Amino acid sequence: MHALEIRNLRKTFGSVEVIPGADLAVEPGEFCVFVGPSGCGKSTLLRMIAGLEEPTSGDILIGGQRVNDLPPAKREIAMVFQSYALYPHLTVAGNLGLALKQAGTPRAEVEAAVKRAASMLALEPLLQRRPAELSGGQRQRVAIGRAIVRRPKLFLFDEPLSNLDAALRGQTRIELARLHRELGATMIYVTHDQVEAMTLADRIVVLNAGRIAQIGSPMELYNRPANRFVAGFIGSPSMNFLAAERSGLTPPAGAVELGIRPEHIALADHGIPARVTHVERLGHETLVHTDGEAGHITLRLVGEHDLPVDQPVHLRPDPARAHWFGPDGNRCD
Amino acid sequence: MKRAHILVFLAPAVIVYTVIMVLPLFATLQLSLFRDGGFVGLQNFRTLFGDTRWSASFWNALGNNLWFFIVHMLVQNPIGILLAALLSSPRLRGAAFYRTAIFVPTILSFVVVGFIWKLILSPIWGIAPGMLDAVGLKSLFSPWLGKEGSALTTLALISVWQFVGIPMMLIYAALLSIPDEVLEAAEMDGVTGWSQFWKIKLPLILPSIGIISILTFVGNFNAFDLIYVAQGALAGPNFSTDILGTFFYRTFFGFQLQLGDPNMGATIATVMFGIILAVVCVYLFAIQTRLRRYQF
Ligand SMILES: Nc1ncnc2c1ncn2[C@@H]1O[C@H](COP(=O)(O)OP(=O)(O)OP(=O)(O)O)[C@@H](O)[C@H]1O
Ligand SMILES: [Mg+2]
Repeated sequence: MHALEIRNLRKTFGSVEVIPGADLAVEPGEFCVFVGPSGCGKSTLLRMIAGLEEPTSGDILIGGQRVNDLPPAKREIAMVFQSYALYPHLTVAGNLGLALKQAGTPRAEVEAAVKRAASMLALEPLLQRRPAELSGGQRQRVAIGRAIVRRPKLFLFDEPLSNLDAALRGQTRIELARLHRELGATMIYVTHDQVEAMTLADRIVVLNAGRIAQIGSPMELYNRPANRFVAGFIGSPSMNFLAAERSGLTPPAGAVELGIRPEHIALADHGIPARVTHVERLGHETLVHTDGEAGHITLRLVGEHDLPVDQPVHLRPDPARAHWFGPDGNRCD
Repeated sequence: MKRAHILVFLAPAVIVYTVIMVLPLFATLQLSLFRDGGFVGLQNFRTLFGDTRWSASFWNALGNNLWFFIVHMLVQNPIGILLAALLSSPRLRGAAFYRTAIFVPTILSFVVVGFIWKLILSPIWGIAPGMLDAVGLKSLFSPWLGKEGSALTTLALISVWQFVGIPMMLIYAALLSIPDEVLEAAEMDGVTGWSQFWKIKLPLILPSIGIISILTFVGNFNAFDLIYVAQGALAGPNFSTDILGTFFYRTFFGFQLQLGDPNMGATIATVMFGIILAVVCVYLFAIQTRLRRYQF
């Protein structure tokens, strides 16, 4: 039995088709990440699963039970919002306990559950504060705690870290991974941050304009992108695309385009001619931007390299790491 | 002086405010300490509270004022909150129409409102008796504005009808400022419908309710126009609708056989000022500071 199953789910707003039909199954205990460019329908999909948005057609099953007609609170799910959405008039303890109280849970049990969640997230010293008296990271932890307290079958996160600064984001990411291991819960996580997607996910669902472009483990997506969109979306800096005949490699039948990641292309004595346009030195690696007849190509070189701008160079893609795409944009090999 | 520019920029506002607000206020306070052109100290206040006829009129007016205020607090504000809650429901169709329709009486003149309701409720030409008759409730009708027992409450309800749009609008704005995500989080937590209103929305709009209460108080204790238009300066029947405003008006300007007495009038005005000032101060320092404004 799947923890979550979506069958041919569609959503239109007026005449705009936002989700033209999605099928997906998430296994129990899985950490599933939705990624995609802004406006591709990630939040809409998540909100339909939560019950905050009504699907135009299709079925949503949670734990094998069809939940289309159940209100959000009856679906045994919890959601963490991007803006945290804490109740400003309640203390941290009140925020954590409201759902259980509302469900009529005995007081002692509510308190125990709040305590348990608070200790998991190091919120104990803050229990009597109000949201206005907390930092952004603390608010985020309260929002996560509010989800944990309910012991849901399914956790939904909508870009929960995007309001945090980079350092805190990295820290919270690790904390979320730990939480996922400890709780063993099924989690669905929306982000447009690739690092979050790659590091947290058991499986990534890449969305493009409301369609599922590919579903797979992070390394599958990285090593075998099913189409040009996924290839270009996953990885940073993004993959270079060049016409097959300019690649210097022999393309397989039907391939018109080569995709090669910046880390799989090297400087050589002969190969694709190009000219250095810009060099970014990051210490542990150097990003070299070049231009030439084959178009703009980016290289990622390990360590420090001193390349003057305008220097002519030759580039050699690693044939073992080449991705070939047909005229329809799909992978061919 | 380095800070001279502050005074320069403050000056226009201070001067205008002083000329049109502060000076008249002090002139009134001063007037209440004089009689027949001579300084008499607190003699006028002693008359107002000590003389049986003056004090009977004063306490009657103050009591009526209080009742007028209580009716507004118990009827106008709860109805305003209820209407706002209904208006903010996303399922309501035609919300803009209702909002406008309910708010329109607020911009009507007191004269129009007072006159219309006098006509509606008139036992002779009014449409109220006929309408009650049409639904078989004629026995319920009585000339409410003409009876000592009901005239004040009737006037208060007319005022409620006219001004219910103001609390409605203020609460409506406060409700709209609650972020959708907070309500969605409540939805996920199972806090829906009325329980969502009581547990989430109401606590978040409490500061607005506080403001509305104090506005209602100041408005009611300064009320005058509606009573004057509907019942005249004598605030009949038998002074049963007399409030501090009409009492002050008769005293200061005189009415029919009563001669105007600016000194006693100023005394009443000073007492009114004192009452409103005291309540507003209690509100500002004891209540408002405890109401939290929430940042979302
Ligand atoms: N209530 C609505 N009415 C009409 N269109 C909507 C509504 N909500 C979302 N949309 C549209 O649906 C599309 C998908 O929106 P959605 O919020 O799901 O995007 P997203 O993938 O979450 O983007 P982001 O990464 O920016 O959060 C957008 O084009 C948006 O304009
Ligand atoms: Mg979104």
